[in-house]
Amino acid sequence: MAAKRSASADEAGARGGGLEHDTIAAIATPPGRGGIGIVRVSGPAATTIAERITGTRPTPRHAALVEFRDADDGLIDRGIVLHFARPASFTGEDVIEFHGHGGPVVMDLLLAACLSFGARMARAGEFSERAFGNGKIDLVQAEAIADLIASTSQAGARSAMRSLAGEFSRHIEALAAAIVDLRLYVEAAIDFPEEEVDFLAEGEVGARLDAIAADLGRLRRTANQGALLTEGFELVIAGRPNAGKSSLLNRLARHERAIVTEVPGTTRDVLIERIELGGLPLVIVDTAGLRASPDRVEQEGVRRARAAVAGADHVLFLFDPQVSEDPLSAAKAEGLNMGRLTLVENKADLSGLRVGWVRDGPPPVVRISALTGAGIDALEQHLKRIAGYRDDEGGFSARRRHLAALAQVAEALTAARQAMDEGRSGELVAEDLRRAHDALGEIVGAVTSDALLGEIFGRFCIGK
Amino acid sequence: MAMQFPDTFDVIVIGGGHAGTEAAAAAARMGASTLLLTMSVETIGAMSCNPAIGGIGKSHLVREIDALDGVMARATDRAGIQFRVLNGSKGPAVRATRAQADRVLYRQAVREALEHTPNLKIFQQSVVDLVIDADHVAGVITQMGLTFRAPAVVLTTGTFLGGRIHVGLEQQPGGRAGDPPSNALAERLRALPLRVDRLKTGTPPRIDGRSVDFSVMEVQPGDEPVPVMSLIGSAEEHPQQVPCHITHTNARTHEIIRAGLDRSPLYTGVIEGTGPRYCPSIEDKVVRFEGKQSHQVFVEPEGLTTPELYPNGISTSLPFDVQLALVRSIKGFEQAHITRPGYAIEYDFFDPRDLYHSLETRVIEGLFFAGQINGTTGYEEAAAQGLLAGINAARKVAGQPSWCPRRDEAYLGVLVDDLVSRGTNEPYRMFTSRAEFRLRLREDNADLRLTAIGHELGVVSDGRMGAFLTKARAIDDLRERLRTIRVAPGSATALSVEHALGERISKDTDAFTLLRRPALHIDALCRVLNLPLAALDVAQQVEIMSKYDGYIARQDEEIARIRRHEQLMLPVDLDYARIDGLSSELKQKLTHARPENLARAAHIPGITPAALSLLLVHARKHQASA
Ligand SMILES: Cc1cc2nc3c(=O)[nH]c(=O)nc-3n(C[C@H](O)[C@H](O)[C@H](O)COP(=O)(O)OP(=O)(O)OC[C@H]3O[C@@H](n4cnc5c(N)ncnc54)[C@H](O)[C@@H]3O)c2cc1C
Ligand SMILES: Nc1nc2c(ncn2[C@@H]2O[C@H](COP(=O)(O)OP(=O)(O)OP(=O)(O)O)[C@@H](O)[C@H]2O)c(=O)[nH]1
Ligand SMILES: [Mg+2]
Repeated sequence: MAAKRSASADEAGARGGGLEHDTIAAIATPPGRGGIGIVRVSGPAATTIAERITGTRPTPRHAALVEFRDADDGLIDRGIVLHFARPASFTGEDVIEFHGHGGPVVMDLLLAACLSFGARMARAGEFSERAFGNGKIDLVQAEAIADLIASTSQAGARSAMRSLAGEFSRHIEALAAAIVDLRLYVEAAIDFPEEEVDFLAEGEVGARLDAIAADLGRLRRTANQGALLTEGFELVIAGRPNAGKSSLLNRLARHERAIVTEVPGTTRDVLIERIELGGLPLVIVDTAGLRASPDRVEQEGVRRARAAVAGADHVLFLFDPQVSEDPLSAAKAEGLNMGRLTLVENKADLSGLRVGWVRDGPPPVVRISALTGAGIDALEQHLKRIAGYRDDEGGFSARRRHLAALAQVAEALTAARQAMDEGRSGELVAEDLRRAHDALGEIVGAVTSDALLGEIFGRFCIGK
Repeated sequence: MAMQFPDTFDVIVIGGGHAGTEAAAAAARMGASTLLLTMSVETIGAMSCNPAIGGIGKSHLVREIDALDGVMARATDRAGIQFRVLNGSKGPAVRATRAQADRVLYRQAVREALEHTPNLKIFQQSVVDLVIDADHVAGVITQMGLTFRAPAVVLTTGTFLGGRIHVGLEQQPGGRAGDPPSNALAERLRALPLRVDRLKTGTPPRIDGRSVDFSVMEVQPGDEPVPVMSLIGSAEEHPQQVPCHITHTNARTHEIIRAGLDRSPLYTGVIEGTGPRYCPSIEDKVVRFEGKQSHQVFVEPEGLTTPELYPNGISTSLPFDVQLALVRSIKGFEQAHITRPGYAIEYDFFDPRDLYHSLETRVIEGLFFAGQINGTTGYEEAAAQGLLAGINAARKVAGQPSWCPRRDEAYLGVLVDDLVSRGTNEPYRMFTSRAEFRLRLREDNADLRLTAIGHELGVVSDGRMGAFLTKARAIDDLRERLRTIRVAPGSATALSVEHALGERISKDTDAFTLLRRPALHIDALCRVLNLPLAALDVAQQVEIMSKYDGYIARQDEEIARIRRHEQLMLPVDLDYARIDGLSSELKQKLTHARPENLARAAHIPGITPAALSLLLVHARKHQASA
């Protein structure tokens, strides 16, 4: 495409100047691909952030090999820092790129460090949007950017939803409800002091604040450990009893995670194991063998197995070719989605057939031996392919976004408590609570003041 | 008699209520030759309902009107017979002045203010039609067939359009008790391509004070020292001060109300208009909060020269026999004589989303709407809108761009933005919780926020501006002075602060920052520092600035962003329906609202950052290709 910039786009840039004066950051490379990962930062604070992370002020257009360190001076990685000075950069603002070792954990820590030094998470397409705003992109490209923003924001919403599924979302909702409930009293006390409302005593406000902060603290700890947020591609191993599912889990995890015996029905609960596959975070779930069983415990195990299969990003349906059953029909009978399924033929050491790729799908078929490890390479290659090509911003970003929001909530709640302890007046505590609520709104959707008033009028008899 | 009035005007204001009087006075102050047309000169500035001005959120609006040299606050100072500061124990942002007003004095004060405003003429006539040239307003036609011409018209007819009054199951047309509705005009307006809907509100029965036993009620005196409403007013202007009283409804009252519900227009579906979500009527309270054994009734005097009382808290549209019984079941009202029955009123209002932030309608150029017809309730809300519409009508005629304060500048900005961006489906009343920048939007700094702007707009007199500048300079001086006083631990200054005020100083700081401590007050600090005591309002302002400093600073970033977004204009002819990636709901809302710039788009409910990005890119594309 012609690189000539149209005069009018330049003009637009001059008119609008920089669109935003805050600094944004994002992981710029797709998760898990290639050996190098890039975190990109754009905005007025970019160079300061680089200085905080690398310890030296970056020189424009000069690649320097440096150490990346977080706010506590902990070493994150060694890599290259690049500075593209404004206005000659891609976005037209100061841009910093940190090139690191690509693994999602490293990238995430690097991004977290940028956020802790004052950047905020970029929205989908925001770098391009700034580029356009600053006249760095011509009209033809603008069309593409609009499309990009439209599609990535949908994908982003999907991945945010995924991260919000289940237990995490229940905790967040409870937190939001507790904050609304507290604000209800605090705001009503301000706007309706003349009404006969049983306002909370100061001590009660403090006690509730502490309870919310404690809940939030617990939530953040577990969320940080990744226990609640889905942070990777979820792969569920399913199949008949004794197919070798637990053996495969152990093989992929590279340690004896699950109990393996020759007794069918050994595994009775879902077992979750997090692994990293060439930089890709994978959540592997081993399940109970699918069969009808009179045993109550096993029945429950099978129910859980089916639930795990239903929520999976992808299912490995493992089968033993010695067993006379067509695996494809069995998988279909289980209601498996063909687009998210791979058939894995196990125990190749017994059948003596050649391990590796058997045929493309759908569903694709791979032959392995979980016992000897033969064919595991091919299976892993296959997994990397399917897990790497996800059409969204990645569970990691959604998770980081949520964690950043929770950190803001925590900061605002701490400020509220401090304001109370210092004996500051009620509207200042109310302001901190409003900020906490707003920050939480980034996860659960904004709560308008009108909606809050609605809650107040629903709860208290107000009006003269 | 068809006749064309010989003089033409710049601005015509229809309606002499709270919106109309501020609109007319503001347009005239701006230098526009202005005509106020109203049904009756006697009812100029009349309070249709509660004889009180101010209260939380509302007094903030009154101070803003005052900072822009409007009428309301000064009239209140001359008519207020009981003044109180609400939320006195809380911080300055949410403190609010409320005054009980003598109806007659208030009306007189407003009328006198108008009659002393240059460029303003008053004429008593009901308006029945608008003169419209193509899509531009050109004047109005009155009941007797007179045509008045003007390129800008501000409509402020309150509850009068299609007004219908309900007492029990009986109903009759009316604009408020004692006044006819404006039905001819309502019909003409309904023919315009504006969305119209119905709202309702109500008022309590009035009671003859001579039939009331005050000795069994709680007395509620005004505050001492007596508060003042206007920033340039003084307590000397106040008439004699009197107390209010408080009594309560009881189980029997509630029984009577429940027994009368089958004849309530509200609960039998006769009233179609929507009331507010908060409880305006006593029957609402009793039904919705069944468990509550008793409700407060504030017994407020209607004036110094009348024994009539306003029982605030028992607004009702129940039949008169039920009203009488319920009133007489209340402690102290056993022998009460009702002088006027309570009633509910239903009226037309226009969907404010059909307005610009200037309060000009989007469909008829030069036609402005203000007050209750935009879906609000309350004198203060009406007056604030009137002021803005008056300013913008005058600016329009002068060929100047419109003005509206931002949400971080004024409650007036919050009010108008809420209405225009979101619309309303209940009578909209101001509350401080509606203002996300509440900490900056205080009663005490309304002048600092608005007076200089108002002077530049031409709506604030040189006299007020001069006084304001003196005050603003004194504030700056004092603050800078305190900033330069270093208080190092162990220094003589620090020791005397520690000694005299019992505060520990462990960090190097300055006197302004020190003042941030909740227990420290500016007078005491100035004394210790041997500084001359500043005027009360100046000292107070500096102390508040320090106490709120961190909080205000935190909001600056967000406000800076809003300001930048304000610079990003969205083309009026942007085709939202064709922007891929917007949800269909959002497309619809944006097409309706046609936000003027990105900041306003950001305030439309349901908008996401990604949607804003899309708008931006499309707006830029649109500009570039135009
Ligand atoms: C019954 C009732 C109960 C209320 N209860 C409350 C309450 O509980 N709380 C509260 O905050 N507020 C209440 N209000 C609202 C408050 O009175 C209004 O919000 C406020 O007065 C609105 O001001 P305005 O200027 O828009 O209209 P208004 O004050 O109603 O003034 C309208 C003016 O327009 C004039 N007019 C009308 N039609 C024409 C015409 N065709 N030509 C010329 N002049 C015309 C009228 O004469 C009048 O002067 C109540 C009002 C009523 C009527
Ligand atoms: N020869 C051979 N044996 C295998 C292989 N994989 C698993 N097995 C054996 O098969 C038996 C069952 O293995 P598991 O891994 O426990 O099977 P499972 O599918 O988890 O069984 P359940 O938990 O009972 O559903 C064990 O004795 C394993 O040693 C393989 O590749 N080759
Ligand atoms: Mg097993």
